[in-house]
Amino acid sequence: MVLEATMICIDNSEWMRNGDYSPSRFQAQADAVNLICGAKTQSNPENTVGVLIMAGKGVRVLVTPTSDLGKILACMHGLEVGGEMNLAAGIQVAQLALKHRQNKKQQQRIIVFAGSPVKHEKKMLEMIGRKLKKNSVALDIVNFGEDDEEKTEKLESLLAAVNNNDTSHIVHVPAGPNALSDVLISTPIFTGDGEGGSGFAAAAAAAAAGGVSGYDFGVDPNLDPELALALRVSMEEERARQEAAAKKAAEDTSKQGGEQQAGSQEASSQDATMTERASASTSEAENKTTDLMDDENALLQQALAMSMDEPAVGHDVKDTDMSEASVDDPELALALQLSVADSTKDQASQSEVLADQSAVSDILASLPGVDLNDPSIKDLLASMQNKSELQKKNDDKSSNEEKK
Amino acid sequence: MSGESATTAIHKGQVDLLDFIDWTSVECLNQSTTHSLPNAIKQGYREDEGLHLESDADEQLLLYIPFTQVIKLYSIAFKGPEDEGPKTVKLFSNKEHMGFSNVNDYPPSDTVVLSPEHLQGKPVLLKYVKFQNVRSLTIFIEDNQTGSEITKVQKIQLIGSTSKCIDVEYLQMFLKIGGKIVYFEMGNDNH
Repeated sequence: MVLEATMICIDNSEWMRNGDYSPSRFQAQADAVNLICGAKTQSNPENTVGVLIMAGKGVRVLVTPTSDLGKILACMHGLEVGGEMNLAAGIQVAQLALKHRQNKKQQQRIIVFAGSPVKHEKKMLEMIGRKLKKNSVALDIVNFGEDDEEKTEKLESLLAAVNNNDTSHIVHVPAGPNALSDVLISTPIFTGDGEGGSGFAAAAAAAAAGGVSGYDFGVDPNLDPELALALRVSMEEERARQEAAAKKAAEDTSKQGGEQQAGSQEASSQDATMTERASASTSEAENKTTDLMDDENALLQQALAMSMDEPAVGHDVKDTDMSEASVDDPELALALQLSVADSTKDQASQSEVLADQSAVSDILASLPGVDLNDPSIKDLLASMQNKSELQKKNDDKSSNEEKK
Repeated sequence: MSGESATTAIHKGQVDLLDFIDWTSVECLNQSTTHSLPNAIKQGYREDEGLHLESDADEQLLLYIPFTQVIKLYSIAFKGPEDEGPKTVKLFSNKEHMGFSNVNDYPPSDTVVLSPEHLQGKPVLLKYVKFQNVRSLTIFIEDNQTGSEITKVQKIQLIGSTSKCIDVEYLQMFLKIGGKIVYFEMGNDNH
């Protein structure tokens, strides 16, 4: 949010016709300039940005520092490529333009796009750098296009002369598949000095990366902080509960499988829950009430049980099943669980049935007009129990005790 | 207010203008980030021997000091090291936002050449006539005593009076000639 007046120096020399940056160096540069202008004006509405060209017939100011983004974008149209870049004159004219800015409270910054070779002497550049530093003007250099050692060296020394407390930066962008703008987005030129990114830059980054954002839950905290917060809180609650459940389950399974399994179980169950929550709908996060607690405990058991196996391919399917189940009525949940139980291995189905059984008893208890002591229900439970009588009677007892 | 602080008032009726500096808009070009302007002019900091103002890229310094009210500047005192202390100092009255490039375009309101003696804190009398209506003061330190790369200033003291203050000498003379005072208030008046 720094109040800043920026002058952008564009290189429109003959070297910019080259196509090693798609579609052409000049076009890539123009895109980058547009993005920078947007970012600056968004981060602080009082920021002003101006543009000048360094080649062509000579150094010429296209727009004096203004906060009108439309004006800046308009002046980028119809620019012609030609001539040779005059870096020193460009920077000096930029400095002059900044000196005559309307709001003297703004910090001064120059952003230079250096695409063609630098023909000035290193000493001269250093002198210019020192003058900029003396007048507290910050300088950002984008080194792209022509790449030779001398150029890099000169630009680095220029930066060293200007740099005051890390307010100035240099970015080297080699030709490659990534667009110039994309590379610049992650640099301090865009993000400012240690601000951690403006909302614009972050959103642009998200869009550029094709939807793969660096945020948890796929929600930008800047765009919707409340939602992001709700998701994060519910995630942490889940994790806490998951760990508690996992510990209990770990005790159970340690009798057979050993701690390795429990460890992986905990880890994978956490992963399962995390992916589950991540893909869950927003309404689910908001509807997390204590009424659903019992059902969720049952689902957790199932999740644990399933993740005891390797996280199977059908995991996602099960995830969605479970998430749906928590919202829909318990009978559907039971049906889903049973169908899921059928489709897995014996070992898994054992534990699933276990979970099912406890889930079933819970669900049945929650249904109105159902008495657990009713003989028909007891039969049902018994039949389920028979399936699990093949192995792990201990598990039954412990899980039953747990539930009751 | 005037003449009360015996330690700072050099001349009767003159005060240290520290209280009238508008701190929000004070600027200094080419200062080092670690040794900045408050070290030289703020109360307490400037008395501290260890804290000083230092130049950065070269030996020149450009200070811009606006005031909260219109003042009259009487004299200025500098304290600095013998070798790196300032030598030629140009003062500009009411010139906003000057830069190093245009500082020599305008004639200064006054030019002061400091000797090592002055750098002990001895005030230099200024052309009082030129500083009658000062809203802001620009101090351009052009070079230092030995021509070294860095200029160091330990303390800058501005002595003068505000327009609202009655000159004490004038008042004494007024009373002597038999003038009567009906309503008398020194300092901030609410007229």
